[in-house]
Amino acid sequence: MKHLTPVNAKARQMTEAAAEGREDEVVAMNAMVGCTTSFDPGWEIDAFGGVANLCQPMEADLYGCADPCWWPAQVPDTMNTYPSWSDPAADVEKDWRQLQSVFPPSKV
Amino acid sequence: MKRLTVTLVSSTALTILAAPALAADGADIVQDVCGACHQPDANGDYSRIDAARRTPEGWEMNIERMVRNYGVHLSDQDRATVIRYLADTRGLSIEETEGYRYILEREPFAQDQGPDQLMTDTCGRCHSYARVALQRHSAEDWEKLLHFHLGQFPALEYQALARDRDWWVVAQGDVLTTLTQRYVMGEAPEKSDADLSGTWQIAGRQPGRGDYHGTMTVTSDGDAYAVTADLIFADGAAEQQTGRAILYGAGEWRASLTGGGAELRQVMALRADGTLEGRWFHTDQSTLGGRIMAARGDDPRILSVSPDHIRNGETTEIRIIGTGLTGAPALPDGLTAEVVSQDTTAVVLRVTADAEAPAGRGPVSVGDAALENGLAVFGALDHITVEPPLTYSRIGDGGGPIAAQPAVFDAIGWLNGPDGQPGTEDDIRVGTVHADWRTENFDEAAAEMKDAQFTGTIGPTGIFSPAAAGPNPERPMRTNNAGNLSVIATVTDGNTTLEGKAHLYATVQRFVDPPIR
Repeated sequence: MKHLTPVNAKARQMTEAAAEGREDEVVAMNAMVGCTTSFDPGWEIDAFGGVANLCQPMEADLYGCADPCWWPAQVPDTMNTYPSWSDPAADVEKDWRQLQSVFPPSKV
Repeated sequence: MKRLTVTLVSSTALTILAAPALAADGADIVQDVCGACHQPDANGDYSRIDAARRTPEGWEMNIERMVRNYGVHLSDQDRATVIRYLADTRGLSIEETEGYRYILEREPFAQDQGPDQLMTDTCGRCHSYARVALQRHSAEDWEKLLHFHLGQFPALEYQALARDRDWWVVAQGDVLTTLTQRYVMGEAPEKSDADLSGTWQIAGRQPGRGDYHGTMTVTSDGDAYAVTADLIFADGAAEQQTGRAILYGAGEWRASLTGGGAELRQVMALRADGTLEGRWFHTDQSTLGGRIMAARGDDPRILSVSPDHIRNGETTEIRIIGTGLTGAPALPDGLTAEVVSQDTTAVVLRVTADAEAPAGRGPVSVGDAALENGLAVFGALDHITVEPPLTYSRIGDGGGPIAAQPAVFDAIGWLNGPDGQPGTEDDIRVGTVHADWRTENFDEAAAEMKDAQFTGTIGPTGIFSPAAAGPNPERPMRTNNAGNLSVIATVTDGNTTLEGKAHLYATVQRFVDPPIR
């Protein structure tokens, strides 16, 4: 880590946590029910158990989640399952209101 | 992509497209539509279909995937028919669902864990572990399910820590072993032949609103039930919920209702003792709702005591709801009561707690009907907690199609118990108490982003209403109205002020929200 210089807030937080011996607080795989994270910011909770290091706003990188089905339980994956989900919203920061919840209302 | 799939299997696709109009019942749909791809073997068992058992919601998600990804065409009516047929013939017993019903009931707070860390990590990293535990498959079918996940969601390699270990060997080894040993295909339970027609006594509590009681009238309506539930809340407000219900399989009650200006879902289990128990919730805002217990007949049973606590020296009306409530009421030591009204389903008492009545929880009974720990007596609260202690809300609306998901909190009063220490096993739960509510930034990062200012507001009954979805130009980096909050309840108890705290992730919306998350 000593050869790496943090360039953003998230990286600084990682570095500070390591320097203070708080690596264990950096939760690699933090999960709530139906909620996913990994070393990258999670869909709902970031690696520090907060939300400050999520993509901000999430629309800025939404298709980076959707294209490779990064969080397929929360964000429709356009690789396999919902290939046309993002079609109505080419510019997601402007067109986000066109993005639908994909599962139809329960009929049972 | 979908069009390509249909083209590749054109002869099958024609069958799929043509069949529904001919379908008369669920078995016909399985044979004519599903069977076009899922060929039956020599025993007449359909591939995959006869190698799995699921809840009604599980079958609904399965059918939805067939429609979405394989181009199956089903009318709404045929879809409902085949889901019902599969849930009736290839369902789970209520016992098999115990411990995981929270996911069907959309409970906003639950400990969702697998039998060990490996299973929790492997399955629960993307969806609830309950989704797994509410399925039964043959060993071969469980293995196919692993392969399906890898093919359909290739990025799961990263979630499975593929950079650090040979995760696929682990998945096919210990994970598959656990699945095949714990969730054995076995035999589907018999479909219940219970006739649920009649008048049910109901009782429960809607967090953020209060205790309720009432009746639920169920009448046979063809192969379903017509339902009218009349709820009376502790503040006297009435709400009628009407609609239609189906009893699936061995005892899965599902109702679609309208009440209080909202579309509602009711998910209950028919227990072996003939009672129904579960939760109802707003269809598009599932955190709004409450637990419900329902009973009918003459068996002595207490469903609820409300309120379930009384202060030393206080006189208040307490309502006992149940069935077969005949005989004399009995209360914990130190309480005296006069009967205000009594019939077999409700007893209203005017109860006085002696100033010296011993603190603690004790039994309430009416004749042979008894509820252990039905009523608490207390002098002064020792501490309060906020329930749920950790939960989430989701931004929504703002002109978009997805509703905001509120979070609902209750303040719970406690006695410290014999050891005098809060937070230990001998603490005595007094019950829900009135509180003043506020939110604060959870930590420094939240304060820097002014989360408490932007993420939403909490109302006087503990309901947190999230702010609008979409980028917010007033926040740094136009970030969403997401945030990390402490939810604080302040309770004034005599001359003492007590505070309790919960943790709220006010987070982003989800775009995939199936019946089983």
